[in-house]
Amino acid sequence: MGNHRIMIIDDEKIVGDMAKLSLEQEGYTVETFLNGEPALARLGEQKFDVVVTDFKMKGIDGMEILKTVKRLYPDIKVIMITAFANLDTAIEALRGDVHDFFPKPVKIKELKASIQRALS
Amino acid sequence: MGNKNFRSLMCSFTHKLIDSFAARPIPFKVMFDRFRQVLEYHNKAIEIIADMGDKLGGDYIFDVTYIRGSYAVLYDTLSESLANFDVLTRNKYPRVKDALRFIDQEIRLHVYDEYSPVRQLVLPYTGLGRNMVHEVGGKNANLAELKNNAGINIPEAFAITTYAYDEFMTHNGIDKMISALGGDAADAKPALDDIYTSVIEGSVPRDLQDALDKALSLFRAKYGNNCFLAVRSSAEAEDGEFSFAGQFDTILNVPLDNRAVQEAYKQVLASLFSDRAAAYHSQAGSHIGNIKMAVACLVMVDAAASGVAYSTNPNGDDGTVIINSAWGLGTSVVEGLTDADFYRIRKGPVPVIADERCGKKASMVVSREGGGITTAGVPDAMAGKSSLSSEQALELGRQAEDIENYFRQPQDIEWAIDKQGKIFILQARPLRIAASGVESQTSGVGGQISSYSILMTAKGQVVQKGVGAGRVFIFKHRDGMDKFLRGDVLVAKNDSSDFIRLMPYASAMITDTGSLTSHMASLCREFRVPAFVNAGSATQVLRHGQEVTIVIDDEDSVTVYDGILRGVIERARSGQTSMEDIFEFRKKRYALRYITPLNLIDPLMEKFTPEGCKTIHDILRFIHEKAVMELIDNAVCGLKGQAAKKLDLPIPAGIIVVDIGGGLDRTVERQGVNQSVTLEQIESIPFRAILQGMIHPGAWQSSPVALKLNDFLTSMMRMPDIASGNAKYPGSNIAVISREYLNMTLRFGYHFNMIDCYCSEKARNNHIYFRFTGGATDMVKRSRRIELISIILKEYGFNTTLKGDLIIGRLANIERSEQENKLDHIGRLISYTRQLDAILHDDAKVEYYARRFLEGNYEL
Repeated sequence: MGNHRIMIIDDEKIVGDMAKLSLEQEGYTVETFLNGEPALARLGEQKFDVVVTDFKMKGIDGMEILKTVKRLYPDIKVIMITAFANLDTAIEALRGDVHDFFPKPVKIKELKASIQRALS
Repeated sequence: MGNKNFRSLMCSFTHKLIDSFAARPIPFKVMFDRFRQVLEYHNKAIEIIADMGDKLGGDYIFDVTYIRGSYAVLYDTLSESLANFDVLTRNKYPRVKDALRFIDQEIRLHVYDEYSPVRQLVLPYTGLGRNMVHEVGGKNANLAELKNNAGINIPEAFAITTYAYDEFMTHNGIDKMISALGGDAADAKPALDDIYTSVIEGSVPRDLQDALDKALSLFRAKYGNNCFLAVRSSAEAEDGEFSFAGQFDTILNVPLDNRAVQEAYKQVLASLFSDRAAAYHSQAGSHIGNIKMAVACLVMVDAAASGVAYSTNPNGDDGTVIINSAWGLGTSVVEGLTDADFYRIRKGPVPVIADERCGKKASMVVSREGGGITTAGVPDAMAGKSSLSSEQALELGRQAEDIENYFRQPQDIEWAIDKQGKIFILQARPLRIAASGVESQTSGVGGQISSYSILMTAKGQVVQKGVGAGRVFIFKHRDGMDKFLRGDVLVAKNDSSDFIRLMPYASAMITDTGSLTSHMASLCREFRVPAFVNAGSATQVLRHGQEVTIVIDDEDSVTVYDGILRGVIERARSGQTSMEDIFEFRKKRYALRYITPLNLIDPLMEKFTPEGCKTIHDILRFIHEKAVMELIDNAVCGLKGQAAKKLDLPIPAGIIVVDIGGGLDRTVERQGVNQSVTLEQIESIPFRAILQGMIHPGAWQSSPVALKLNDFLTSMMRMPDIASGNAKYPGSNIAVISREYLNMTLRFGYHFNMIDCYCSEKARNNHIYFRFTGGATDMVKRSRRIELISIILKEYGFNTTLKGDLIIGRLANIERSEQENKLDHIGRLISYTRQLDAILHDDAKVEYYARRFLEGNYEL
């Protein structure tokens, strides 16, 4: 897995904690954020390969993160996860060039596979 | 008329109205519809519970929205089931609602994060367990679990809770100092030093002093004043999430004096903010303010020797337990103060000492009279002598293995042996094992074990994935359960909630049939027992007693290897528990303790009452059982106004049929009222199956067997009500049927059979309840008859209950095809037992005829 770096953004701590633990087992370097602002700031300092973000968050939401990332760092793959999955959000995300889209709860195995695809 | 009078009149009128409503019998058809509704909602609820168990099991990333959403649906579903249940039982169990209200309150506290379940400052170990880790910390929770549920000997103890910690901190204003701490503990040294001092100088709140007084006086009453305590840290995250090994203080040999215990308590609390603990936090990435410190107060063991045992070699598993031991208290071993004795015990049914080295033990730590500990020289005669006898070392090895099997993870164990030679376990916490072999841990188990011989692979359903190994135990019936040994692999035809008793001990489970949503499945998830259902033929392929390793992956398949593959097991175990390491994960999962556990296992147990319901699962179980019973009780009584038909069969069984929906085909409608129905017109699945059995060639003997019993047999065949064609529901030989349901009572002479059965496409809906009772013969013969039926029912997988001349067999949660097969055989049994008394002249005949019956030989 080399030194790939993954960013997780979710306003619930448990999501970041669980994702971090499972992805670090795969050898990735993982950083977690509870909201979008510091996460986007961090992207300015450090190169990331994949951003996994929640869709619905206070402040900067997932869609905004997706758009900003795609505008500033088009190489970064964005994976969206959401508890409020419906067709509209999925379509909106796909239009924004999202790499993958998962309803919560997310099967860890599938998230790992998706990240692997994003990196290959 | 005053307003008051009017009101009281209305009140009494309303009550009368309710009474008359309650007394009015409900038509059986209505009852049956309600019953089906109860079942439907019951199943839906069980599915939600299973889904929650699955999603919160560590394989999914979830958030609180999921838990809230799922619980809301679960609550509504259960409420629907309960509403139908109340109608069905005419409000016979109003207290179920009280139980639900209480449980719901607890769950809502957790689901909506208003979490503060325990408001006790001090708790005795009775009733504590691992699920109380938030309240009493890791060390207390693990020890209490071992004592209460695994039968391991530990010293008498009580816990000072995390709630007490909160109280102490608030009382002394330290909570504010903690919340002012920055994120990185390493940067906060001056602030931490302040907190440390404030704790040491703080005062213990009055309530806590009182609670301690109470706990200490209990010990004083039991042990007198010559009793001392070990006051030990039991942080919320300790001995679980992070080991914090040696980071927090333990104060040994504290007198049973309130002031002394308070001082020790404060010292243990303060150690949470010590330099070394701060450094550990910094490294582990945990925040110091997130951890609460509970404290364990254990009665000191007057130790002849103590030490540490690793249930698995931490440097790579080689199938051994590692023990270090020294004279006196364990401090010398855990702190590495002396050259301890070393033992390596090879695990197995008969453990052996593989390696042993006697250390040169120059000093030892002992209790000081009046309190405290001191270092003393070891007398020359003892210095070069082993501190353990071989028997003691082996027994420690055995216990270490037991504890590992119980927690399903290698364990780091502290122990002591008192001067009478009794072993006490003082601590058990997860042991991290270096990964063995060259493969990385993430590569899965499949590749590494391909070279071993495979006994079977099967497709089916994964209840709980994982790896387990042990001796195969083929489950035949409940009576044999005593022979099940800790660590055995349970292999059974069907799943059954009877297995709960074995669950803490089973290393894995496989059943030939079964469902993902059965009670047993929920239990397996709860206990994290690797379990696989619908494996097809495990009971045929695997041999009782053979050693196997079972690998259940998440691709819906199971592989059973020959022999015990230790490397595979350890690696699976060390990877398995990682999610448990996340505090938030455990906290969020907490609500499940009021949802999934099943306490009401056996309907015959005393606490099978609404008051006994402690979880949502319990309530579901209670409702289900009582709903079935209600239906059975009412099947024959509530038949007024139903159209009854005589049934023509090739045997003179004289059965009257009452169809409550879909049990007979349409051609019956065109028949005359008095015209009989035939076997071909029966659409009821269970009824057809049982009739096929009853008319099975040879099962129904038409000629009397022994002349000397001629009179008796004549009486058995005499069925006046039926023979006279008078269908006035004589109370015997009536079948109430629907397409999926059968309730039949049959009286042949003095034998009385009752069968109640639901047989549908959904295995978890299905049940067979069979009751046999008889008379007209002496007690000896009666008991032989019951014995014979019991042997046969058990062979078919029924759970049986015997009460005098009554035998009840129950079987639930079985696939339709299998159920039809069982019903066929029950039908044969009903026919067969008609003339049974005639031939059971001695005890030896019982087994003989039971075997013959099972072989399909019905000749008498």
